[in-house]
Amino acid sequence: MNLRKLLKMIYRVYINFKKGILDPEAEAIKRTIDSMGYKTIKNISKGKFFDIEISSSKNTLGDLEKISSDLLSNPIIENFKIIKK
Amino acid sequence: MPKKVVSIVVFPGSNCDRDLDIAVQKYMNVNTELVWHDDPNIKNQEMIFIPGGFSFGDYLRSGALATKSPAMKEVIRLSKKGVPIIGICNGFQILTECKLLDGALIDNYKRLFICKENFVKIENKNTLFTKNIHKNVVQFPIAHAQGRFYTSEDNLKRLEDNNQIVFKYSSRDGKIKKSENPNGSMNNIAGIINKNKNILGLMPHPERAVNFSEDNDGISFFIGLQNFL
Repeated sequence: MNLRKLLKMIYRVYINFKKGILDPEAEAIKRTIDSMGYKTIKNISKGKFFDIEISSSKNTLGDLEKISSDLLSNPIIENFKIIKK
Repeated sequence: MPKKVVSIVVFPGSNCDRDLDIAVQKYMNVNTELVWHDDPNIKNQEMIFIPGGFSFGDYLRSGALATKSPAMKEVIRLSKKGVPIIGICNGFQILTECKLLDGALIDNYKRLFICKENFVKIENKNTLFTKNIHKNVVQFPIAHAQGRFYTSEDNLKRLEDNNQIVFKYSSRDGKIKKSENPNGSMNNIAGIINKNKNILGLMPHPERAVNFSEDNDGISFFIGLQNFL
């Protein structure tokens, strides 16, 4: 593995609906899985993620937190979580 | 006396801006200026409209990317000075994403794009936006896929207590029933106002209810807005 790849800094921001908000897409997927005959699926929630590569580690988490709460998610309906890849 | 001028902000994907332009000029007796989204200056500040359609493909969430455009930054600044602002459909979504209005507008309950006429009850006539509409129930077209109004229970109570809910989906005779709720909005909400009463957002399209006869309800909506000017 080359050094450049090793040094890549990528963070993943996960976004999902807050509890209690009906997601009709996840409901439809669940109904389809039910119709496929699987009996043990209790609940499905759907989310999305963004992989964000950064060029410097200065203020990274602070900036990512701001970007996530200010744009990538809407705090009224969504939660976000940031992890380092 | 020269006519006053109101502004209509246009985004890549807006598609109700021309309809709005025609309705506003004809029934508010003003001139209009269309402001492109990357213009940081809004010269004409009598009233600002954020039209329906789409903005930036509605990527991420409806209206989310539009909130960061230079024109919207100016709209946010002017809103604090009391400039009257009306967001229709995507414009309502943009105003909630900017946090100028409470709540969020998310996928319709049945995840369908809904395009039909709906009756809408005017819940609060004590606003400058609605006080001159002579009917209590109006008929406006709706056309959206993300129109389900959602907010926290606390915020919902605050909106109700402050009389900030201006429009609710209803029956022809003004009954607020679940069966008249097209998209699953909380409490049948179709439009709200901010606490300072200068910003209105609504999902229905009054600008599409002005063409067919003199008693189309969009006409009294726009004539009524002359209060502000």
